[in-house]
Amino acid sequence: MARIPHTDVMISLFGAPYESERITTAFRLAQSLLDRGATVAIWTCGYSTALTCASLGDSKPRNLIDLDRDHPSTVRLVKDLLAGYPERLHWYVCRFCADERGMTEQIPQVKMKSAFRFMDHVAAADKLLCLGVC
Amino acid sequence: MTEHLLIESGGPATGPAGERFAADAARLAADGHRVVLFLVENGVTAALPGACPAVEELLRGGGELWVDSLSTAQRALAGADLLDRARLVEMDEVAGKLLEPGVRAVWH
Repeated sequence: MARIPHTDVMISLFGAPYESERITTAFRLAQSLLDRGATVAIWTCGYSTALTCASLGDSKPRNLIDLDRDHPSTVRLVKDLLAGYPERLHWYVCRFCADERGMTEQIPQVKMKSAFRFMDHVAAADKLLCLGVC
Repeated sequence: MTEHLLIESGGPATGPAGERFAADAARLAADGHRVVLFLVENGVTAALPGACPAVEELLRGGGELWVDSLSTAQRALAGADLLDRARLVEMDEVAGKLLEPGVRAVWH
């Protein structure tokens, strides 16, 4: 079994991506932590597993009143963040939640994990923040 | 005494839970703990005078009130609209507090 890397902060994301500003806040906090040199793990549960669903592609659907503008999808935001901090950011997706919602096709940059490993990841982090409810 | 970073994202409009969370922060401060209550998203409306009595109790008890500058700007609120002792902060400062050893953080 692969060793779980130690992290300074683990952020656990629950709930649907667009029901509130929660995901934006989570991205802002993760970016700030990483900019300060911290190691960060993000674990998505429930409908947050949709953030890295491969079928989203890199761009959101075109805006019909602004056709030339490219709006990045959450997939691209996650990929860019992981590429920017390859040794210090780890992104995990709860396999059970993804399976239940038909989101099994995830981008290869994230790791699918059994729900039963959640506490192992919590134990590997100095601090845990749980954002939202399923 | 333990230092706490309590993060409120709902605010008064989401029901009594936000008020109770701020009351927990006030109670911790009254017991002598160092407490920072950080308001973000709709939670920033709790920093308006009269919106959340527990926030004003927290300040009377020696706690700190941090308010997310981006969330405030998104709601067209100015610093002058907020409680006198509320402090507008960037997310970087929150990250710094979260990374301080011994700081316990709770999100609501």
